[in-house]
Amino acid sequence: MLKSFLKPILIFIPLALIQLTVVPLISIGNIAPNLIIVLITYFTLKHGQFYGTLLGFILGFILDLISGGLIGAFMFSFTLSAFIAGYFYNENKIEFNVESFFFLVIVAVCGALNAFIYSVISNSNAEVNLFLLFLEEGLFPGLYTSFFGLPMIIFSSRKGIK
Amino acid sequence: MLNFFRRLAADYKEYILLIVLSVFSLTFLSKNEKPQVKHLRTFAFGNFAVLNEISSSVTSILKNDYSLEELTKENSKLMLEVSRMRKLRSENDELRAMIAFKDTSKYPLIPAKVISKLVNKMHGNFIINRGKSDEIKKGMPVLNEKGLVGLIADVAENYSVVQTLFNSNLNIAIILQRTNVNGILSYDGRELHVKDIPTTYDVQVGDVIETSDFSSLFPPSIPVGIVTKKESNVLGLLHNITITAFANIPGANNLFILKIVPSKQINDLEMNLLKQN
Repeated sequence: MLKSFLKPILIFIPLALIQLTVVPLISIGNIAPNLIIVLITYFTLKHGQFYGTLLGFILGFILDLISGGLIGAFMFSFTLSAFIAGYFYNENKIEFNVESFFFLVIVAVCGALNAFIYSVISNSNAEVNLFLLFLEEGLFPGLYTSFFGLPMIIFSSRKGIK
Repeated sequence: MLNFFRRLAADYKEYILLIVLSVFSLTFLSKNEKPQVKHLRTFAFGNFAVLNEISSSVTSILKNDYSLEELTKENSKLMLEVSRMRKLRSENDELRAMIAFKDTSKYPLIPAKVISKLVNKMHGNFIINRGKSDEIKKGMPVLNEKGLVGLIADVAENYSVVQTLFNSNLNIAIILQRTNVNGILSYDGRELHVKDIPTTYDVQVGDVIETSDFSSLFPPSIPVGIVTKKESNVLGLLHNITITAFANIPGANNLFILKIVPSKQINDLEMNLLKQN
């Protein structure tokens, strides 16, 4: 079980570096993709809901620590997003889920949910409109994130990450 | 009974795990200010920032940033000087002596480079390549050549976390340079606002905002931004004004830390007064 977490954690390190140094350069008005959620979604669809939820928690904890942000915010949002991604897990459809464009839809859903939860947690403004917050802070980053799921489809369909 | 619980755990293990992990996460969230959690964070970001710095030096090619550090530093000093001169001109001779006492331009500026950014609408923060080894302390103001950027929120040995103005947890006491109207600047996730200024006060679009003498976080007269919108509330008794920051915070790469901790300065003053009495 522990060994199976090694691969995503090893992939996470360069991804986190890119997330913190390169992604700010391609953000559009504070709307930025979250590359880590692509990784979490991918491994959740490969290994199931239980594994994904635990992976989301671990990677969220590490990202919270190394980004200097609120500890617990990414932990919570990644855990919930991975749990939701787990509902798309199907033992008989693993290849379809991670190698087709359906993967982008799942990433968009999880990305939107993750961005929305993170915003709600870190928002100290009580007057905020949740619907608008979901549109601006959830939907747009989710769609932007899904775009970065594309290399994952190409990569996994050609070589396959086992 | 034991079998029942075993079956329950097997059937609902995902839900049980979700609840346990969510409780853990929320507990951590509520304990962010605990010293142990702070130490853990400082240790983690301080070590990972080494990798960030290497990565940042590679990506700096993409940033198209060729500005000379020394020139930018000089520019920042001049910006503070201009701000101070404007204020001096608009006040009378008696106040000048006081303003000279609160002169911020005499404090050293420490140049720093942004090595990573957490892009988030509500909680903007940067990690910079200066830390305890450069005598950086929590609470020091951070600015660039145009104006205030934020303040030091956390310090590791060689790196620090900067809480930017675009952070909903940061509220700053400000003053309108032209009319000396005071207010509290806050960020709502979209814009910087100063709320509830009486309509009887003279506020105009284009007025310059700077840090106030009342601020316990920042020294006075650091340029913050400009008034870009003025709205009255329903009763027409109060104004809400929108501010555009002078500093391009999302695009900031080179920053300066003003080597001053205002609260310590106040403490020292109070100590001096006590000594005199």
